[in-house]
Amino acid sequence: MIVSSNNRCTLEGILRKTTTVYSLPLFYERLNDAINDPRSSLPGIGKIISEDQGLTARLLKLANSPLFGYHSKIDSISRALALIGTQQVRDLALALSVMELFRGIPEDLIDLKSFWKHNISCGIVARNIAKLRRETNQERFFVTGMMHDIGILLMAVAEPRVVTDILRRRRREEGLLFQVEKDVLDFDHAAVGGGLLRKWGFPESIAEPVKWHHKPRASARYPLEAAVVHLADVICNGLEVNLASNWQVSPLDPVSWERLDISISQLENIVQQSELQMESTFAVLVEGS
Amino acid sequence: MASVRIDNLEPGMVLAADVKDSKGRLLLTKGVTIEAKHLLVFQTWGVTNVSVEGDDDLPADPLPAEISQKEMNQAREALLASYRHTDLKHPAIAELFRLASIRKVRNDRKQQ
Repeated sequence: MIVSSNNRCTLEGILRKTTTVYSLPLFYERLNDAINDPRSSLPGIGKIISEDQGLTARLLKLANSPLFGYHSKIDSISRALALIGTQQVRDLALALSVMELFRGIPEDLIDLKSFWKHNISCGIVARNIAKLRRETNQERFFVTGMMHDIGILLMAVAEPRVVTDILRRRRREEGLLFQVEKDVLDFDHAAVGGGLLRKWGFPESIAEPVKWHHKPRASARYPLEAAVVHLADVICNGLEVNLASNWQVSPLDPVSWERLDISISQLENIVQQSELQMESTFAVLVEGS
Repeated sequence: MASVRIDNLEPGMVLAADVKDSKGRLLLTKGVTIEAKHLLVFQTWGVTNVSVEGDDDLPADPLPAEISQKEMNQAREALLASYRHTDLKHPAIAELFRLASIRKVRNDRKQQ
């Protein structure tokens, strides 16, 4: 057996390492308990979120951005909860906090601006696909897209040396990141991301599609959600809204494409609509804060 | 044979293949000459592209007026390398590639 340093780099190891260093604020447990408790009231839940002033400000900015397009001004968390829904506000709050957790990590491996631009754009495109399909709870598609590559950040933080090699090899071979990862480690960033979101208390309807965003038909319970984020990822990379220059567009799974039942001409609408929302949302979430 | 988008279709063109809706239901058969009323049928049933008799080399879609063929070709060439793992024959990828090329021409201009 060949023993290489990579053998020590396991999926479980990365998850353990990162969840101890990057833990979400304790108030999420309280928030979750409150949301799942039938006796708790909207103002009560709103009060828990409002304790984090920075988060509250970002959440309200996002809720009032053109992306969400609510007609009336959302000026308080309780109003956001009433309009957007408690589960969805909770998921958005979680996603925004994850973004905050990784602020200031070394950027020699991953450029954070490009990273969030790709992920937020993917969320916007996924949301527009869901909108076209008249799915319910469209905000969860935004969150799924926004979090879909989070495994890349985790791996870069936990195993910088291994990831440096993987990124170099991807560039040299002009390969696909998830395939190079699988070659080297036997798992990919999608599995890391899905595993971590689960540990952080994201719902399965978000964690599982993230896990399978490169192989959506393997998702047992959420193949449609996985197909949506898969297509959104292909679209963003196809439009060069990607993580780095010379980035390869991953192949579109034809079975998942069929499942989505969208026509070719609708792609143009999705792209146009998303493009209009990208800059403004990016300004709110990355540049404005 | 050339694939033409519905908005570019004109009466008098001849279908080079059967036209079906998204559920596979047959709407019109090969060889039919297109009339104005057919366009409404296509719209109603969500057909977006049909194959018509004609020159294969003709671009399926005319470019937006402000973009020249030369600019479009340059953008396509620059983009092609990043599409090497995709199946450009898949209609969704082909359309994405077209949209991306147009976007690239516009973005490159903005940067100049």
